[in-house]
Amino acid sequence: MSDTPGISRRALLLGTGGVVAAAAVAAVGTAVTQGGPTTSTTTDRAPGVRATGRTQAGVARPATPQRQALHAVLRLGGGADPGPDLRSGLAAAGATILRLVSGPSDELPDGPGDLTIHVGLGPGPLAAIDPTLPAATAMPRFAGDDGIPAGRDDGDVLVALASSDGTALRPALDAVVASLPGATTLWAEHGFRGPGQGTIARNPLGYHDGIIVPEGDDELDENVWLAHGPLAGATVCVLRRLRLDRTRFAALAEGERDRVIGRHADGRPLSGGGPTAEVDLQAKTPEGAYLTPARSHARAAHPSFTGSALMLRRGYAFDRGPLADGTADAGLLFVCFAHDLETFVRTQLRLDETDDLMPFTTPTASGSFLVLPGFDAAHPLGHQLWA
Amino acid sequence: MLSRPLTALLAACALVAVLATTACGGSGGDRSLVHVPGDVATITKAVDRVAPGGTVLIAPGVYDEQVVVGKRDVTIRGEDRDAVVVDGGGRRPYGVVATADGVRIENLTVRRTTFYGVLVTGLHDENGPSAHDGQGYTHLDPDKFPPVQRFSIDHVTATDNGLYGIYAFDANHGVIRDSYASGSADSGFYVGQCRSCDILVQGNVAERNAVGFENANASDSVVIVGNRFSGNRVGMTLISNYQEAFTPQRANTVVGNLVSDNQQADTPEQATGGWGIGLGISGGQDNVLLRNRITGNVRAGVLLANTEDLAATGNTFTDDVLTGNGVAVANVSAARAPASGNCVTPAAAPTLPADLLADCHGTQPTGTLPAVDVPAGTSFLEVAAPPAQPSMPDPGERGPLPATVTMPDLDTIPVPAADLLADLAGTAQGSS
Ligand code: HEM
Repeated sequence: MSDTPGISRRALLLGTGGVVAAAAVAAVGTAVTQGGPTTSTTTDRAPGVRATGRTQAGVARPATPQRQALHAVLRLGGGADPGPDLRSGLAAAGATILRLVSGPSDELPDGPGDLTIHVGLGPGPLAAIDPTLPAATAMPRFAGDDGIPAGRDDGDVLVALASSDGTALRPALDAVVASLPGATTLWAEHGFRGPGQGTIARNPLGYHDGIIVPEGDDELDENVWLAHGPLAGATVCVLRRLRLDRTRFAALAEGERDRVIGRHADGRPLSGGGPTAEVDLQAKTPEGAYLTPARSHARAAHPSFTGSALMLRRGYAFDRGPLADGTADAGLLFVCFAHDLETFVRTQLRLDETDDLMPFTTPTASGSFLVLPGFDAAHPLGHQLWA
Repeated sequence: MLSRPLTALLAACALVAVLATTACGGSGGDRSLVHVPGDVATITKAVDRVAPGGTVLIAPGVYDEQVVVGKRDVTIRGEDRDAVVVDGGGRRPYGVVATADGVRIENLTVRRTTFYGVLVTGLHDENGPSAHDGQGYTHLDPDKFPPVQRFSIDHVTATDNGLYGIYAFDANHGVIRDSYASGSADSGFYVGQCRSCDILVQGNVAERNAVGFENANASDSVVIVGNRFSGNRVGMTLISNYQEAFTPQRANTVVGNLVSDNQQADTPEQATGGWGIGLGISGGQDNVLLRNRITGNVRAGVLLANTEDLAATGNTFTDDVLTGNGVAVANVSAARAPASGNCVTPAAAPTLPADLLADCHGTQPTGTLPAVDVPAGTSFLEVAAPPAQPSMPDPGERGPLPATVTMPDLDTIPVPAADLLADLAGTAQGSS
């Protein structure tokens, strides 16, 4: 994450990094048609993303998240013991995913492009299989969770789809859901991201987000993937649909906004350094005030205070238009991955106590899921749960 | 990749290496006594010359350098405590740093560093100490950097240092004695990150600091006796901190200290707004407090809080004087880590909430301290100079520091007078 001259991540984002950067931006641009109708040839579609392997696609690959996503949270059909049905259902869903991403299909006549689909299980089915499984315990209630409508915080299955082509998401989701007998959709959210390279893009508040995340195989192994046992290659995903009071945030003076985040909008830490520099938690003014303010989000969320793993954050903006009171039902679908549930839980509890950003957020849906290890034709999705 | 930079600008030895390539090595040098500036112009050169077990004796003067002592059993000694000054100039990170076993630092003043005046630590590499490098995505690994053994800091004045005045972490079997610290934007004295520390903190004065004395994650056999932690924003803290190794903090012995009037405005601010607090315990456990005088702190004499999921539990107060504080004891712990088993004998009042100590054996109720307006901070470089401090008597011939610290007989230590060490404290002399 050093600011390598010429091709820093910032340069790529802003397209100011000279020839190399300009070329990279252009390459990204081909996968994203701006406003106009998508063409029906397969030749200009984004390159495919490998679906099989140790881990599922769409968590850490592609390294730059696709700009459109659909997250769907399902309730499984009845039955006290989800075992046999769930096992065959997951296998069928995995087979559907492999079919969808392997070439043109009924659902996706132009082929899959860069579509990725991953599947996770919530605490209900996990506990029914084995209460000692990772993420088999539901999260505690966080500040504001009492306002989450019924059915939006206790899902059984997560199906997360992402693609450069937003129109590919719904047909693919329907096909996956149809392979899980009796499953119904509790809630689903279409999300979108601004342009960026790697996980960095502007979030709905206009700030570069996704700067400090694990990168490269070593850091992903250390922080994101379960390392051992049959579930190696799984990860714990937390979804939080956070409505944002963007209007109130935007009404703050620029300096005040920066102090809430702990960085300038382009990512530069208030403690100094370039747009991808880490925040300095110790640095102070001569008068003793923290340069990364005491109640800023960047300080509050920093994993060192909770002794947590560094989470991989790949959130998406959402916008559903006005609520009854005229304010926008818009914000951030926060999506993170870590090797345990505690990383999110401990961090959120701390944010509830010390983060000046939280008063601008309202949780409207929530869920935790064990994203299952990778699969392929010979090793069906989810089979490791019964290993 | 995360860059995890050595943010602390720890080029101490690199800097030194330009002058003398062996300065940071563990050997080289054959002199049992080196005079500065009589034999060599700088303390750093003297450390290079001196043999392990030898002494560097420094004559009065202002020394614009930072010194790393990486040689075993070396004594760094000033001839006159107030007149031998290692000056960081408001830009060098360190004053005197000991990274070898058995180092004594005594009878001198260290001022105006941006990080630490005096530091003793086992965490270092060929570039010098690496306290707080990176930002906690990684941790001190005690197996890789075993604690430094045996140290003594005696009659040292540390004033106007950016973070800490006198600091020991990843260090065992040491004494910090009869020293003085003021003007620190973090804390005057800081003992951290050790287990079975065997560290004695005795007879020191901390004033005009954001926090007078801080302990983060230093546990068992840390004995804090007869100190004056008065006239700071917060007198002293015992805290657990996940940013450093060895959580939770536990089992210190705190006897006969004066912790009073900690709402001093002409200091750097405490970065999280601390003000008017005598002793703060955050996630600290099983600490034993005997016969301390904790008085005149406008918000709370003792404040109990959690550190994340680590609760303040099992701390006992016996025969302390807890009077004239906003409240004697307050508990502001979050529901996720409730305080429990914190007992005060005889019972102190008032408390927050009022029934805090009704049953000290179980989980204890929580309240909220009223908000206060905290005055703006003063630059650490502009905090009032300390009053004259006494020099250390000539110690005569001494062998190396012993393997373990001889602890005082705690039974003989009474509740201190309200003017304990007042003659050494500017804030006690009407100059506040
Ligand atoms: C709507 C809500 C949120 C917004 C707008 C937001 C925005 C940001 C921004 C702008 C940054 C700084 C840039 C970066 O390092 O990526 C950041 C950092 C971070 N955020 Fe959030 N965030 C939100 C919610 C959350 C939540 C709910 C969590 C976890 C519980 C979280 C965890 C983190 C972490 C771990 C960092 C990196 C801290 C570091 O190591 O420097 N954020 N966020």
